[in-house]
Amino acid sequence: MIGEPQAEDRLRRARAGDARAFGELLAPVLDQGFRLAMTMLKDRNAAEDAVQEAALKSWRKLDRFRYGADLRPWFLAIVANECRSMRRSRWWQVIRSDEVEPQGHAAPLEGGWADSIDLNAALDRLPKHHLLTLTLYYHLDLPIEEVARVLGCSAGAARQRIHRALAALRPGMVLEVGR
Amino acid sequence: MTPEERELRRALDSRSAEVSPEFRARLASVLAEGRPAASYFLPALAAVAAVVLMFATVGVLLMARQARNQPPPAAATTPTPTPTPTLDPTRFSVPGVVHVPTGAIILPSDAQLSAPSSHDIWVLMENQYLYRSTDQGKTWKQMPLPPLGPSSHQEISFVTDAEGWLMTEGPALARCSRDVIDIWQTLDAGRNWEHIGAKGISDSECKAELSFVDSNRGFLDAFGMNHQPSIYRTIDGGRSWVAGGPLPGSPGFTPPAGGPNLVPGRVRAFGSTLLVAASAPNTIKATEFIFRSTDGGASWTYLAPAKDPNNQVVFLTATRWLQLIGPGQSTETTNGGSSWHRYASDYSQAAPVSANFDFADSVVGYGTVRGEIYRTVDGGLHWTTIHTPGT
Repeated sequence: MIGEPQAEDRLRRARAGDARAFGELLAPVLDQGFRLAMTMLKDRNAAEDAVQEAALKSWRKLDRFRYGADLRPWFLAIVANECRSMRRSRWWQVIRSDEVEPQGHAAPLEGGWADSIDLNAALDRLPKHHLLTLTLYYHLDLPIEEVARVLGCSAGAARQRIHRALAALRPGMVLEVGR
Repeated sequence: MTPEERELRRALDSRSAEVSPEFRARLASVLAEGRPAASYFLPALAAVAAVVLMFATVGVLLMARQARNQPPPAAATTPTPTPTPTLDPTRFSVPGVVHVPTGAIILPSDAQLSAPSSHDIWVLMENQYLYRSTDQGKTWKQMPLPPLGPSSHQEISFVTDAEGWLMTEGPALARCSRDVIDIWQTLDAGRNWEHIGAKGISDSECKAELSFVDSNRGFLDAFGMNHQPSIYRTIDGGRSWVAGGPLPGSPGFTPPAGGPNLVPGRVRAFGSTLLVAASAPNTIKATEFIFRSTDGGASWTYLAPAKDPNNQVVFLTATRWLQLIGPGQSTETTNGGSSWHRYASDYSQAAPVSANFDFADSVVGYGTVRGEIYRTVDGGLHWTTIHTPGT
């Protein structure tokens, strides 16, 4: 959370163009940003490009970031957008023939999760907005409220999106979201 | 957490990875030195793997392209394609089909706009659902698309409430070392689609921002590594394309190493004047430059920089442009970028993501960010949120 005097000073210096201060601001969220990009893009080079562009963009936009707000959902929202940006994605994407999303929704799996190969294949086929939602909640372990801030919606809507993403992955999946 | 959720967590974890020390160093270097990113050096092993992957994928790409050049097979729910008699075997027509979303689309999502007239607006939602409104977005109707297989990306461009083009993209290699596209046209609002292919368009380079300005003239950006982007143009409704001259260098701009030089946006036409804005990704210093063509896109000249290099320039006329950012931040030029002044637009959006705008004329325009759609009917001064179709 940006709010402590030291962090505020860091933010002020970063806004003024201090690269070291911006690097210090970014450091705590860089790893999660990269993990988000890796999960979304499944390619290290592409993920590095996405995170680098997100870092540069967030630095440029830092004057629009307000004191006291949490940098993590703000930065992750920019990373997520870079990962799915239409114009940029073509530059970054590495799509193999077995990874192309089908038209329409992902075919649900038959049976349970016993076969992890099936689960991985289902994640490959999952529409990107569903994959983003699941990644934020299950991989980055963000609380619902923070998932909502990254997605730009209410906590209730975020919970609903997690349910829908799971349903797209496998109908009837037993889960404890929001309990 | 249930066992199934734990399994899902493990599957997601297996897709992920930690930041490498090399990337940390590269990013620190980029931030500290204020220079463009270093070239994307690949270790020898990775380079070999990339070459192997490229050769392996070429076959897949050729098969995919060949497959797209054939009418799709009939399915139980898909009308049978009906090839149109023609001397060109790659040209045929198929009835469009409507794939209805299984549930309401939840925002944030992805929306792509095409506004051909003051009343008509087309939206492609989530890269797969096409909608049209003929009353400025008050009501929407889902419209058919060609019965195609998977496509990683699609773009639309409409010039009326009935005539438009769809660009689909097949499997691509990283950084567009190979990027195969295909183009379809409809004259009846999607009821039928004619496959017109991509004659004259190279499979290398990234292609983006398909933009038709009337029934005959269309443009498509092409950009790649370490060279100036060019813009393909057609004067026969997309039946054939030729590459226009490259966008020239811009004052004070040093192309980044290891990335695309400049990425152009959509071409807009105002009579015989064509305008396009271009920006550079992965550069420490934001860029947004305007280019103009007065010979139909055969050649381009540098015109002006944007007032705010972080934000898109929206062309309303040949000389009146806007940069819509937020209250107190939006600017306007009425002399083609020679001077800019504050513009009292009430446009505002909270997300740390810039909107994409598409103006039908100098008065009516739309913007979208993460699926939300905004409309102005007074040249960008006032904006209202309209219902996003499918949601």
